[in-house]
Amino acid sequence: MTATATRTSAATAATLRATRRHRAVRAFTATTGLTAAVAALFVLTMMVGSFRLTAGEVITSVLHLADTPSVDFVVRGLRLPTALSALTVGLALGASGTVFQQLLRNPLASPDFVGITAGASLAAVSGIVLAQVGGLAVCALALGGAVAAALIMYLLAWRDGISGYRLILIGIGIAVFFEGLTGYMLIKAELFEARQAMHWLTGSVGQASDDELKLLGGALVVLLPLAVILSRKLRVLELGDDTARALGSRVELTRAALLATAVLLVALAVSVAGPIVFVALVAGPIANRLLGPATGGIAAAALVGAVLLLSADLVAVHLLPTPLPTGVVTGAVGAPYLLWLLATTNRKGAGG
Amino acid sequence: MSRLRAEGLTLGYDAEPIVRDLDVTVLDGKVTAIVGANACGKSTLLRGLARLLRPREGNVLLDGRAMADLSTLEVAKVLGLLPQAPVAPDGITVADLVSRGRYPHQGWFRTWNDRDHDAVARALDATDTADLVNRPLRQLSGGQRQRVWIAMALAQDTDLLLLDEPTTFLDINHQVELLRLLRTLNAQAGKTIVAVLHDINLASRYCDHIVAMADGAIVAEGAPRDVITAELIEKVFGLACVIVPDPVAGTPIIVPAE
Repeated sequence: MTATATRTSAATAATLRATRRHRAVRAFTATTGLTAAVAALFVLTMMVGSFRLTAGEVITSVLHLADTPSVDFVVRGLRLPTALSALTVGLALGASGTVFQQLLRNPLASPDFVGITAGASLAAVSGIVLAQVGGLAVCALALGGAVAAALIMYLLAWRDGISGYRLILIGIGIAVFFEGLTGYMLIKAELFEARQAMHWLTGSVGQASDDELKLLGGALVVLLPLAVILSRKLRVLELGDDTARALGSRVELTRAALLATAVLLVALAVSVAGPIVFVALVAGPIANRLLGPATGGIAAAALVGAVLLLSADLVAVHLLPTPLPTGVVTGAVGAPYLLWLLATTNRKGAGG
Repeated sequence: MSRLRAEGLTLGYDAEPIVRDLDVTVLDGKVTAIVGANACGKSTLLRGLARLLRPREGNVLLDGRAMADLSTLEVAKVLGLLPQAPVAPDGITVADLVSRGRYPHQGWFRTWNDRDHDAVARALDATDTADLVNRPLRQLSGGQRQRVWIAMALAQDTDLLLLDEPTTFLDINHQVELLRLLRTLNAQAGKTIVAVLHDINLASRYCDHIVAMADGAIVAEGAPRDVITAELIEKVFGLACVIVPDPVAGTPIIVPAE
C-alpha cells in the first residue's frame, strides 16, 4: 500500500515537473520572441520616412559607433526621441494595464476606464485652457491629475479594505465625472487653446521632450522590475482576499504597493504621450494568450504594449495617406476588441 | 494542550458584534464540525480562528501565542483555510492553482525545489486529482473543483485545516466523498480539521466533535452521540424532531417530528 502510494506520488511529481518545464519554455520563447519583435520594430521606425535609412545605419548611429552628420541628425535628432517615446510609453502602459486587470480581477479594469487617464486629461486640459501652459508643465499637471484621481478612487472605495468590484465602479464614476469637466473646459476655451488641448487629448508619441523621456525611462528602470518582483504576490492575490490572507499574504499592503506601481507607470506614460487608449487594455490579454492562461506575465505584457505602440506609430505616421496621432490608430484597433471582450465575457456569464 | 483556541473572543463587521465573548478549544488530531442556523456566526467564528478577522476583544491563541502577535506567514505555515466561495483567475489550470498553495513556503527569489514538487504531488494524490493537472479549473465538475481547492490548501502543508461550508454546492454523493476525504486526511496525515457544515446528519456521521452555535455563542459541544438531542435541535434550529440512530454507524439522525 505504502509502496504504491510512494510510486504514484513520484509519478505525479514527474508530471508536475514536466508541466512546469513546459510552461517555463513557453514563457521564455514568448518573451524572447517579443523582445526580438520590439527591437526589430524599434529599428524599423527609425529606418522609414522621407529619408530612408538601412538598419545598419540606424544601429551604428544610435549606438554612436560611427559619426555621419546627416544620418546622425535624422536618427538621433528626429527619429530616436519618437521611437524611444513609443517604446517606453508602450512598456509602461502594457505593464500597468495588466497589473490593474489582475489586481481588480476584471479584464475591463484597465486604467483607461477606471478614471486614472481621465484625471490626467482633466488636469492637463485645465492647465492648457486656464493657464496657457505647455511642454513640461502639461506633463507635470497630467502626472499630478492621474495620481490625484487614483488617490480619490482609493479613498472612496475604502471600506475595511478595498474590494476590486467597488474600485472599478467608483473608477468608472470618476472617469465620467472628469470627462464631463474636461468637456466643460474645452467649451470655455479659446480656439487656439482648444486645439492644443484636443491635440493633447488624442495622444501621440511624437510630442515628448527629452526631459520627459528621461523621467519616464528612469522610472521604468525602477518600476518595471518592481512590478515583476511583486507579481509573485499577485498570483496569490488573484485567488481572492480570504485565500490570499490564509496563504500568508499581507493583502492590503501588497495591493497598495501594486496599485501605486501601476498608477505611477500609467500616470508617467499618459503625462508623456497623452491618453493613448486601449494599449493598456489589450496588452495583458494578448500576453496571456502567448504565455498560457492565468500566467499573468508582466514583462511579457509590457513588451506587448511596446510592440503595439511601435506598430501603431508606424501605421499612424508612415502607412496612412495623412499622418495621424498614434491614439487614433490604437483607438481604431482597440474599439472592436473591446466590443468582442464585452460580448464574450457576458456569454460566459462572467461579466459581473 | 490544544494548538488552536479562542478566549473571550468577540468578532463582528459593523457596530453589532456577531460572535460574543466566546471560548472554544479545537481538539488536536480530530475532525470538528461547527453547526448552527443561518447567520448564527459560525462562518464568522471560523474566519476569526483563521485570522481573517481581527478580534474586537479576546484572543485567538495558536500554539499558546496570541495570533495577533504572529505574522501572517507564520500563521500560514501552521493553519490553512478554504473559504466558502474561493475565486480563481479565468483559465487557470489545476497544476497552477494547487502550486499556489506553496506560497507561504517560498521566499522572494527562491525558485521551486523538490520539497515544493513533492508537497504538491502529495496534495494531488491525496485528493485524487493527479489526472486533472493540465485541465482548466473551469471545465471540472463541482465535486472535482472542490477537491482541487482542498488540494491547494493541502499543498500549503499545514497541521490545521479550516473549511468554510466545503459541501454546500455539492450533491449528496460528492458531499459524502468530500467528508470521507477529510476523514482520510485526518487518519493518514494526522491533520486537525474544522469545518462549518450544514448537514447535521452527515456531520454526526463523519466528525468526531460537534460545536453547535446559536446567536454568536456556543450552546453545546461534544461527541455527536452526546450532543445531538431533540432539545438541542429545537433550541438551535427551532425544529421539532425525533433523533434516531443511523442504521449503519449508529450516529444520530434527525427526523422532523411533523
